[in-house]
Amino acid sequence: MNIEAKPITFAILATVVILIGTIITLFIPMFLPSTQPVSDYIKPYTAIELEGRDIYIREGCNNCHTQTVRPLRTEVIRYGEYSKPEEFAYDRPFLWGSRRTGPDLNRVGGKYPDSWHYKHMNDPRSMFPKSNMPAYGWLAKRKLDTSYSFKKVSILGYGYSEDEVNRQIQEYRKKVTSPTYNAKAIRDQITPPELRNELTEMDAIVAYLQKLGRDVKMLKKKEAVKVAEAADRPGALKNPFEGKADAIKEGKEIFQNNCSACHGDDGKGGIGPDLTDNEWKYGSSDEAIFNSVAKGRPGGMPPWEGSLGKERIWKVIAYIRTLGKR
Amino acid sequence: MDWRVWTYLGFGTALVVTFLWIIIHYYRPQRKKNVETPKYRMLEDDE
Amino acid sequence: MKENNYDYSVVKGFAYSAVFWLIVGLVVGLWLAAEMFYPALNLTPWLAFGRLRVVHTNGLAFGFGFAGIFACSYYMLQRLTRTSLAFPGLARFHLYLFNVAIALAALSLFAGMNTSKEYAELEWPLDVVVVIMWVIFAVNVFATLIKRKEKQMYISLWYIIAMTVTVAVLYIVNNLEIPVNLFKSYSAYAGANDANVQWWYGHNAVGFVFTVPILAMFYYFYPKSTNLPIYSHRLSIISFWSLVFAYLWTGAHHLMLTPLPEWIQTVAIAFSIFLIAPSWGSVVNGYYTIRGRWDLMRTNYLTKFFIVGITFYGLQTVQGPTQGLRTLTAFFHYTDWVVGHVHMGTMGWVTMIISASLYYIIPKISGRELYSVRLANLHFWLIFIGQLVYTVTMWIAGIQQGAMWKATNPDGSLTYNFLETVTALYPYWYIRFVGGVIYFVGILVFTYNLIMTGRSGKESVPEPQPQTA
Repeated sequence: MNIEAKPITFAILATVVILIGTIITLFIPMFLPSTQPVSDYIKPYTAIELEGRDIYIREGCNNCHTQTVRPLRTEVIRYGEYSKPEEFAYDRPFLWGSRRTGPDLNRVGGKYPDSWHYKHMNDPRSMFPKSNMPAYGWLAKRKLDTSYSFKKVSILGYGYSEDEVNRQIQEYRKKVTSPTYNAKAIRDQITPPELRNELTEMDAIVAYLQKLGRDVKMLKKKEAVKVAEAADRPGALKNPFEGKADAIKEGKEIFQNNCSACHGDDGKGGIGPDLTDNEWKYGSSDEAIFNSVAKGRPGGMPPWEGSLGKERIWKVIAYIRTLGKR
Repeated sequence: MDWRVWTYLGFGTALVVTFLWIIIHYYRPQRKKNVETPKYRMLEDDE
Repeated sequence: MKENNYDYSVVKGFAYSAVFWLIVGLVVGLWLAAEMFYPALNLTPWLAFGRLRVVHTNGLAFGFGFAGIFACSYYMLQRLTRTSLAFPGLARFHLYLFNVAIALAALSLFAGMNTSKEYAELEWPLDVVVVIMWVIFAVNVFATLIKRKEKQMYISLWYIIAMTVTVAVLYIVNNLEIPVNLFKSYSAYAGANDANVQWWYGHNAVGFVFTVPILAMFYYFYPKSTNLPIYSHRLSIISFWSLVFAYLWTGAHHLMLTPLPEWIQTVAIAFSIFLIAPSWGSVVNGYYTIRGRWDLMRTNYLTKFFIVGITFYGLQTVQGPTQGLRTLTAFFHYTDWVVGHVHMGTMGWVTMIISASLYYIIPKISGRELYSVRLANLHFWLIFIGQLVYTVTMWIAGIQQGAMWKATNPDGSLTYNFLETVTALYPYWYIRFVGGVIYFVGILVFTYNLIMTGRSGKESVPEPQPQTA
C-alpha cells in the first residue's frame, strides 16, 4: 500500500481517520437524549427575553461573560447553584463563553432589581468607578424591533402562537411603561421621551438578564420554604461588633467595596433604600438587618452570606448603625 | 463484564494495534529507502 | 532551465494580503488591549469590546492566517509536485474572492452580525461564500496533485491534504444554522450539543489551521532555508497519522466542569495528553535536523525563526494538555492564563513560521535578494520579546486572578468580590499592551522589509544548479 503516491486514496483515508473521533464524541452524543435533557421546570424564553438574548449575542457579551457555574465550592458561593444541563435546552446557540473578564451571568436573574441593571448598563462606572465594562446607554435610545419575533420563536420551536407572542410583547411593554414600574425613575432618566412608551433594546436585554437562572432559583425556593418551616427559629441575634471602632472602620471599607454601588457612598440610597433615615423596611433589630443582608430580600437585596460571611456582615451592620446617628 | 467494558477494551486494543502497525510498517528496514526519498528530493531545485 | 511555468502571481497576492490583514488585526488587538484598562475607548457600538474582539480573532485567524496558508500552500503545491497549478485562473479568482470575503466579514462583525460561536461568528451568507471559496481551493489542490510530476508526496503535502478535507468538515458541521433573515440565524444544535460541536470546531480550528498547515510550512521551508534534509520523514509520517486521528477527540477540554456529559470531557483530556507525542515528534524532527549544524542559528537568519517557532510549538503542546486537566482547569480556565496560552501559539509559533516562510518565498519569486537581513533580525527580536512580554504577563495575571477567585476567609466566605479580582489585573494589562506594541513594531519592520524586497532588492545571482535526479 503506497498511499503517499495516491492523493485521492490518501484524502479519503484521512477523512475516515478524522471522522472516527468526530462520530464518537460528537454525532453519537447528539442522538442521546441524556446529552441535552429537557425538563419541565425550565421554561423557554418569552419573545422579549429572546429579543434581549439576540442583543446580548449581537453585542458579543459572551466575549467577557460566561454562563456556566462550575461545581466548585468558591464558584457556587460567588454565583449560586452550579449549572445543570437541562437549563440549556432552549439555548441556540449556547452562550457558555470562554473568558470571565466580567462575572458569570448564569445566576444573575433576580439577583438585582431591574433598576440596578438599567443604571449599570447605562453607565457601569456610575456604580463601580473601577469597572472596565463598556457603557451600553445607547441601547435605551433604540426602539426594539419585534417584527421577526414570531418567526424567531417559531424557528426555535418554543410553541407560542402569533397571538401569544403579541400578548407577551404588549404585556412587557405595559409593565415597563407603567407608572408603578419599580425601575421607572432610572428608566425614564435614560430613555428619550419619545421612546418612554415603547419597548427599547435596553428593556429587552434587562428582561433577558432577569431570566438567567430564574427557573432553577424558583425550584430552589420551593425546596427552601419547606426547610425553613421545619427548622427552629434561632434566638434573637445580637451584633458582637456593635460600637467597636476597629470593626466599624473595617465595616466601612466592606461597605464601600460591596454596598455603595446601590446604597450610595454615604449610605443615602440609590438603587437600594436610604440607610441613614432610621427607617427599616424589614425591621430594625440586629437580627432583622442581619437577615436582610445575609439572606437577601425579594426583588432587591441580593444574599451576601456566602460571599461576605457572618463576621463581615456584622461589621458592616456596625458601620451602618453609625450612619443613622448623625 | 458487560458489553461496554468489552467495547472499550476492544476499541483500545484496536487503536494500539493500528498504531504499532503504522510504526512497524514505516520503520521496516526494506522500506527505508522508499520512505526517506522525498526528503532529499524536495531539496533539489528544478529551476 | 525553467521547465515548469510555476504561477507565482497568486502566491504573491496572498502573501501581501496576509501582511495587510496582519496589520489590521494587530491594530484592532492593540485597541482591545487598551480598552481593558481604559474603557473610555469603547467610543461607539462598533468599537465596543464585544464586537471588536470578534474582528480581532477573525481578522487574524482568517484574514492573516488563511492568506499566509494559501500563499504558502500554492507555492509548496507547485514546487513539491514539480508542476504548475491546474487552474491558475481559478486561483486568481480565489484571491479576489478571499479579500472581498474578509472585508465583508470585518464589516458585518463591526455591525454586530454575529452568531456568537467563537471563530465561527460569520452569519450564514458569508458562511456560504467561505464554503464556495474552500471548494475552489480544494479543486486546485487535488487537480494539481493528480497532474503532479513527482511520484511521492512529501510530508508537507500530506498536511495540506489533511487541512483541506478537515476544515471543510469542521466548518460545515459547526455552521449549520437556520436563517431568520439575511443577517440573523440560529444554530441547528441546542445547549450542550451546541457547545460540544462548537468546541470540537474551535479546538480543531487550532489543530487544522494553526497547526497542520503551519507544520506543512515548517517541514518545507525549514529544510529549504537550511539546505538540510529533515531528520526523519518516517517520524513525520507517524506523527501525522497520530495527530490527525487524536485531534478530533479533544475539543471538550475547553468544556471541562461544564454540564457537558462527563465521559466526553474525560475522553477529550485523555486524547489531549496523547497529543503531546505526535506534537513532539515534529519538535524532535526540527531539533535533530540541525544537529551538528547549530552554527546556522548565527549564520542563517531564517534558522532562528524556525527553531524558536518549533520551540514555542513544543511548549504550547505541553501547556495545552496540562492546563486541561480537571484540577488545573478549575484554577486556570476563564482567566488570562488561557489568553497567554493562545497568544504563545499564535504570536510565537504561527506568525513566526509564516513570517519566515514569506521571507523565503518573496525573494524566490521576485528574483531579488532580501532587502535587509539586519531588519529581518530586528523583526525577529522584536516579535520574540514582544510575545514573551505578552504571554508571561498574561500567565502571571491568570495565576493571580485564579488565586483571588479561590481565596476564602477562615469562615468560608470569599476574600475578594469580583471587581477586586478585575482591578488587580490593571497593572498586567498595561504591561501586556506594551508587549503588544513591541510586537507590532516588529511586524511593521517585517512589512517594510518585504515591500522593499519586492521593490528595490538586489537581483539575486542564480544559484549553481544542483544535479537533478
